[in-house]
Amino acid sequence: MPELLSKIPPGMRYHSGREARLRRAIEDRVMSIFNEHNYEEIVTPGLDYYALFERGMGAEAASRAFRFADADGSLLALRPDVTSTLARAAATLFATRTRPLRLCYAANVWRANARSGAEWRREGKHLGCELIGARDESVTRTGSDIEMLSIVAAIIARLDLQDTCRITINNVGIFNGIAARLNLDTEGRERVRRLIDARDSSGVQNFLTAHTDDTQDCAEFGRLVRMTGRDEMFAAGRRIITNEQSVRALDELEAVWRGIASHELNRCFEIDFGDTSELDYYTGTVIKIYIAGAGTRAGNGGRYDDLIKLFGQSETAIGFMFDLDALTDALRKESGVRSQESE
Amino acid sequence: MPEITIALAKGRMQNQTLELLSRSGIRCDDEALRSRRLSIEDTTGRIRFIFVKPADVPVYVEHGTADCGVCGADVLMESEADVLQPLDLNIARCIIAVARLDRGSEDEMDTEIATVAHRINEAGMLRVATKYPRIARRHFLERGIPVEIIELSGSVELAPVLGLADCIVDLVETGRTLIENGLTTTETIAASSGRFIVNRVSYHLKSDIIAELLDNLAASVAEMNESEIKSTHAENHK
Repeated sequence: MPELLSKIPPGMRYHSGREARLRRAIEDRVMSIFNEHNYEEIVTPGLDYYALFERGMGAEAASRAFRFADADGSLLALRPDVTSTLARAAATLFATRTRPLRLCYAANVWRANARSGAEWRREGKHLGCELIGARDESVTRTGSDIEMLSIVAAIIARLDLQDTCRITINNVGIFNGIAARLNLDTEGRERVRRLIDARDSSGVQNFLTAHTDDTQDCAEFGRLVRMTGRDEMFAAGRRIITNEQSVRALDELEAVWRGIASHELNRCFEIDFGDTSELDYYTGTVIKIYIAGAGTRAGNGGRYDDLIKLFGQSETAIGFMFDLDALTDALRKESGVRSQESE
Repeated sequence: MPEITIALAKGRMQNQTLELLSRSGIRCDDEALRSRRLSIEDTTGRIRFIFVKPADVPVYVEHGTADCGVCGADVLMESEADVLQPLDLNIARCIIAVARLDRGSEDEMDTEIATVAHRINEAGMLRVATKYPRIARRHFLERGIPVEIIELSGSVELAPVLGLADCIVDLVETGRTLIENGLTTTETIAASSGRFIVNRVSYHLKSDIIAELLDNLAASVAEMNESEIKSTHAENHK
């Protein structure tokens, strides 16, 4: 066969046999949990206007989308993310529906990832859900955060991954408060964000020392971004984080933490002040899901109250998604280990 | 079965890293170290070390094949790997710099590298020989200087001497190789030193042993820095 016919584009692959069956089983289990929580499945367009993703995800994240021109010259993209398409639907198609909207999806996404990176796959499938327009009674509006985290915990339990999974939560307001207090410009903010995200303690400490007088606090904050933990993290955080905005975010995070603890759901959860990725998208709680054997992050999510406003209607929103490839990798290795043990 | 795998860069950084680790109580059997095995365990059997080429350390760590690794900041900048860098080990310190032929007194005339580029190469294109194509390209493009990168894998200092390139971007430790080949540094791009890097997933799933390792290593680094300061003081008082 000529090479042109036999080759497969980089980052694309077939799934077959046991793996294809495992993928199907995982997807069905995750979707059944969304269904049990009254989330309605929505199928969104796989091809959409690039402008939608550019506004929804931010220019940098959207730039990884595969783009091409429609017959009339307008710029199209293969869907790199599902949330933007759902946010638009919430503000348009479902504008008059009773709130809150509980939507879920199992949808393919495409991203032009670098060939050599750990995230080399260019096609993936996201299993996720969004809770839009919930009016939480409590002042700290933690109700929908806790609902989301309990669904995450239910999925982990249903897939029997409790022992090999770690879910971290943080609140982006903590970082935003610190950046505001230091009066950072966009460039400085991005630099310190990257340093924190890379857990570069000494880098963070050096950066902060150049911006404030309190060197003791800088050293402590440098150590803080390197730590993850549970209840004790709040005391550690409050010792050095004192600006009003960050303290409010800490209060909110602690309320969410206590919420999941009171339902005894917090076994796999941890607090991670160093999680500062995708800051411009999220406005409150952020979630990252790590599973052994899955190489890259297995899922993420958070609160994005400003997103739907972009489409004209201002309302609260929170959601998360699991990456089906990562779940499959983790469960395949897991079942491999188990069958070896039973031999 | 070891609890974690650490990838170490073979070569000059390997011994310094092993010394820091042994200060932290992590030791390897001498015989195993002398052997040519590329994968050995420490004396407790908790940690497995693998020895790989420096540029491959971030690759193993990003993919999670190794949970942690030690390599230079230069390698990290060049690879742009998505890994965590929680600790600067302060070993194998050097700078990444631009260097070109040392033309003595003439140099005082043109400190602006752009004018140098223009004068040397009338096409207005600076030819840069380097082992670090990404770092070099990023550095010059940020300054709006169009460059042609000539990627070499060693003896980069020869390139300007033989006229293959106008300048080089390379690691400079003592500067001796440069001087002996008639080159001089014109710009520092960044400082580099050995970094302890960690895979994003391992950092959370193996947080207990990694946190313990980080604390011990941080203490050893501080101890080492202290003794270094003392010895410099002693030097100065001689």
